[in-house]
Amino acid sequence: MKLKVLPPTLRKNNRYLTVEIKVTSPIVKDDLVSIVWDACVRFQGELNTSNYNLWVMKFYEQENGENYYCYKAIVRCQRDYADEVRSALALANKFNNNRIAITTIGLSGTIKASQKYI
Amino acid sequence: MFFDLNINGSSLDDNLKIAIEASKYGWEHINFSYDQNDFKQAQEFKNELSQDLAEIINFDYTLEIKSNNINEIRKITRKFRNRASCISVIGGDLKVNRAVLENVQIDVLSRPYLRRYDSGLNHVLAKEALKNNVAVELCFKDVLKSYLAPRSKVISNFKDIYALYRKFDFPLILSSRAESVFDIRTTHDFIAFFAQTGLTTSEIEKSFLSARNILEFNKNRDKMILTGVRRVDDEA
Repeated sequence: MKLKVLPPTLRKNNRYLTVEIKVTSPIVKDDLVSIVWDACVRFQGELNTSNYNLWVMKFYEQENGENYYCYKAIVRCQRDYADEVRSALALANKFNNNRIAITTIGLSGTIKASQKYI
Repeated sequence: MFFDLNINGSSLDDNLKIAIEASKYGWEHINFSYDQNDFKQAQEFKNELSQDLAEIINFDYTLEIKSNNINEIRKITRKFRNRASCISVIGGDLKVNRAVLENVQIDVLSRPYLRRYDSGLNHVLAKEALKNNVAVELCFKDVLKSYLAPRSKVISNFKDIYALYRKFDFPLILSSRAESVFDIRTTHDFIAFFAQTGLTTSEIEKSFLSARNILEFNKNRDKMILTGVRRVDDEA
């Protein structure tokens, strides 16, 4: 049985980060999920990461650069923790021995609004 | 007003790629840093680079002195002072840290904590930095390229420097020291990271202002007769 939806006052407020990912080998959405969680747990710790309410909402492939693959994604986090998440993502450096760079290019309150950065 | 005084300079093509990426991510001015051996060579393609980046981003060159010999550092500083918009010295050695902070001709002591178990600064050096207006530079790349315990130690060193900075108010600058497009982040990410390590937003803004002040001060450095006395050319 599905849980009843919470009333608006009890729901968590979300922010949506539009991130740009540059990586030297191709990745899929599941890879990004583990990259995001790993980056946050490493930099902020398990206890702080539990507050962030992280979720990879959308994942887009972009035109590749000269020597890297380029992707964009929308990552959900809780409202007051956007800076914590974006700093943790900025420190992601390696994935499976491949170079990776994640930088946040937009911050919005809805998924629809965050898509303008894609 | 986002200044990055330390982006690792390399060939013309690589510099172009990094500069375009930096401009896209919100940076307004970047300085490509070269050591004393490569600085002359880099001057050769500066005009070409400035033509290519004319409408994109402001840039300049930083001379980054890599030496553990204090006399050599003094000699190189004197030789390049009029040619470089910013002179920085890589720290880490206590003698170098002290000699650099006592030298008014040097603009920046870069990474005083490098290869050390402590921050490389104390209250005596902090006072010297303030007296001689030498900025202390912290690099984002040192955190980016390290992980687990070494990363914690670097951040711990940053925090020790913040404590001295709050007490003595010497110029502090933050830079990325990016080597490729993989090391560049948006200005917001950069600010968010340093805010996480313990700096306030106003302190981060002040650090960008310090970087700008260094460049502006050096434009008029040849007109300085004494400390506080400058030759004014415009007829009033």
